[in-house]
Amino acid sequence: MDILKVRDAQDVEQAVRAAIASEQPLEIIGHGSKRMVGQPVATNAVLDVSALNAVTSYEPNELILTVQAGAPMADVLSLIDSKNQQFSFEPMNTSQLLGTPDIGTIGGMISAGLAGPRRIQAGGARDHLLGVYAVSGFGDSYKAGGRVVKNVTGYDVCKLLAGAWGTLSVMTEVTLKVMPRAESERTLVLRGLDDIAANKAMTAALGSPFDVSGAAHLPGSALRTTQGALGEIASPDQSVTLIRLEGITASASQRAVSLSTTLKSFGVAEILEDAASAVLWAAVRDVTPFAASGPRAMWPVWRIVTPPASGGALGQAIAKGSQGEVIYDWGGGLIWAALPPSADAQAAQLRKLVNAAGGHATLIRAPEDVRRAVDVFHPQPKGIAALGERVRHSFDPKTILNRGRMSRGLGT
Amino acid sequence: MTIMMPAPDQAVLARREAIVAALHKLVPGEGVISSAAEMLPYESDGLMAYRQPPMVVVLPDTTEQVSKVLKYCHENGIKVVPRGSGTSLSGGALPLADAVLLGLGKFKRVREIDFDNRAVVVEPGVTNLAISQAVAHAGFYYAPDPSSQIACSIGGNVAENSGGVHSLKYGMTTNNLLGCEIVLMSGEVIRVGGKTAETSGYDLMGIITGSEGLLGVITEITVRILQKPETARALMIGFAEVEHAGQCVADVISAGIIPGGMEMMDKPAIHAAEAFVHAGYPLDVEALLIIELDGPGVEVDELIKRVEKIALGCGSTTCQISTSEQERLLFWSGRKAAFPAVGRISPDYLCMDGTIPRAALPLVLRRMKEMSAKYGLGVANVFHAGDGNLHPLILYDANKPGELQLAEDFGADILRLCVEVGGVLTGEHGVGIEKRDLMPEMFSEVDLNQQQRIKCAFDSQGLLNPGKVFPTLHRCAELGRVHVHGGKLAFPDLPRF
Repeated sequence: MDILKVRDAQDVEQAVRAAIASEQPLEIIGHGSKRMVGQPVATNAVLDVSALNAVTSYEPNELILTVQAGAPMADVLSLIDSKNQQFSFEPMNTSQLLGTPDIGTIGGMISAGLAGPRRIQAGGARDHLLGVYAVSGFGDSYKAGGRVVKNVTGYDVCKLLAGAWGTLSVMTEVTLKVMPRAESERTLVLRGLDDIAANKAMTAALGSPFDVSGAAHLPGSALRTTQGALGEIASPDQSVTLIRLEGITASASQRAVSLSTTLKSFGVAEILEDAASAVLWAAVRDVTPFAASGPRAMWPVWRIVTPPASGGALGQAIAKGSQGEVIYDWGGGLIWAALPPSADAQAAQLRKLVNAAGGHATLIRAPEDVRRAVDVFHPQPKGIAALGERVRHSFDPKTILNRGRMSRGLGT
Repeated sequence: MTIMMPAPDQAVLARREAIVAALHKLVPGEGVISSAAEMLPYESDGLMAYRQPPMVVVLPDTTEQVSKVLKYCHENGIKVVPRGSGTSLSGGALPLADAVLLGLGKFKRVREIDFDNRAVVVEPGVTNLAISQAVAHAGFYYAPDPSSQIACSIGGNVAENSGGVHSLKYGMTTNNLLGCEIVLMSGEVIRVGGKTAETSGYDLMGIITGSEGLLGVITEITVRILQKPETARALMIGFAEVEHAGQCVADVISAGIIPGGMEMMDKPAIHAAEAFVHAGYPLDVEALLIIELDGPGVEVDELIKRVEKIALGCGSTTCQISTSEQERLLFWSGRKAAFPAVGRISPDYLCMDGTIPRAALPLVLRRMKEMSAKYGLGVANVFHAGDGNLHPLILYDANKPGELQLAEDFGADILRLCVEVGGVLTGEHGVGIEKRDLMPEMFSEVDLNQQQRIKCAFDSQGLLNPGKVFPTLHRCAELGRVHVHGGKLAFPDLPRF
């Protein structure tokens, strides 16, 4: 395998131009922590951007951070944490789920766009990416967006790049919005609800004026094997439903009490504070019940985004039909499903249920042969798939960048 | 008129009668307007210095009709300009002499309210405020609130990615959408997203939002709604120096406080507003901040105290805190009426819309004062201080020969300054025709070509809203060409492993 380790944006331009000339597709990696997500990329040449790892500027007072795309997430997180700031979309750390040693780079995080529990309140990666410098499949460096939070100058190209899994451009530098960390957090814990009742409780909480920033449900079945934070509060014979409130201390604690009253028909809520609350949400964010080091290591894992209020019914149907396990985030709008292994990761059956619910499903973890056999990303209706392909073509007509990663048809 | 639009296609104009007749068949009844007198209201949008009668106005009321009209125009090489309520401040809905003006004003229904999924499905002609009104009985609202919210349509909001005074905390339109239905120029109907937090595949809704009517015609929108905050209170704080006010804004944010709104006005704007609405604004200050905190009562009360203390630390000279809803609204009344208030002290004004890094504010205001002297035109500033979005209002008199040109030159200089200090040409009003020719100040040809290639993916003939946003039009075939640079591996010194 040929690995090109680029040093700057010009190197990236050169590498892509050479790839165009030699009709050699490139797999784009940072630390490679999410390489096993997506259809297997049809190439044996790798463009490694991990040396583009500088912090260009960080202005806490402006709530703005500009870093090169290969900057390690771990470093960036500790940098903004030192100023008591955060990415409010709570990016997922995929290392436990995927079983990688590293949590990856900022470019990888944005390209994957996997937002955590606070997405229901603060939006996703796409909502916090303000500007980029990138190299297209034409081999041209371009910029889009800017370095201010409010900007409508030209098309919002950043939205396309977030979640594009490196198939549109090689990002070389990104500007992100950061936000202050909340002073305090409280988590209401309700026990023993079934998926449908929990879904109703979360819907009630999210429809309340208490500004909920996390709403997750872990059925007992998913807790059978959990070590760590979740293991401390949960047991296999009893589900837990978690609802988070954040803000200044007086406000978070008062809202926790008020919300407990609102939800009293669902049981008596226990209230966890700050650190005890935070570790739970990190476990939900990172989907630790299905960790690669745990007993579900061999099970394929799906990420299903669906209308939240009917998530409980969908999750229940999936678990029942597949003999699998599910956990819920985003008030029911995000379902993680680990299913017993099969040649197609049970894709056909699962997608039938998901389509009927108005959702979509991505196969986040599965062995390579399974990922070759199924559509990792949700198949789209013909018109929108064709439009998406034309948009991809507008960035990369020769399909140089991560060829076939998001679409099985392109891999050949 | 100083901004040139593409020359009308004489061949299309020659076919006008046949085109009008064909459109009558596609949109029966009163959906086609072709008499000069009746087309008059469509000649201009909120950028009133520019007027142009369209070739014909079509007002369909179903997605199917929109699709048929676009398909017909696509097949016959006819340009189309979409229009919502026509409140654009950048000329996004300015007609073209040889184009069909496609008005979405008849799409007025709220199709579905789904409180459990916190989503509302609306037609594009529904006004921004009407969405909040439709869900108010259950304590919900739609967060983005552009100043024109009584009149502006949600379809126009999506096209322009509209903001408002609350965007610092609640985001712009793009952060509050779940799905949409758009009709492509070919007539093809595409549905993106739905009631899910994220769409599958590429974020097409993200690129459609803010595309200023160049990518497709929006026929349905699903927005996210939120529960109304329990309470809101405002502080009105005066400063003897603009720098002090700027420091206060920075300090509030670095203290971890994200106010619902944080607005600044400079002395000319304060005086104009006070003379108009008598809100009790202090007249002896150089800058006035209105800071609104919203949320649970206990939180708002605490944050008010913190902000007051920060303001004092920055040298505030006056500080009033609202104790009733009536008083809060009074504080805002002057700010909300700032544009018409300025309209009273000047026959005409141009409203600019750049965004700058907050720290650059004192410098930008100082330079603007110098420019004001140079051009001999007054300027009043209102400013979404929290997110750095400036709205300088340039005062001029259109009846004086040459003054519009002078005002436009002044405005262009202000926007160039915004870019120079690290900001952007437009924060929320859009590029339209107004800032079109300034795009090269911010973007290189390569940057703009990439954006135009995206347009080609949606509209291969460039028939939808041409002449807006991009200063130079290219053919899609020309943009799509891949240049193969030289030989094979041009980087012998690149490390390989």
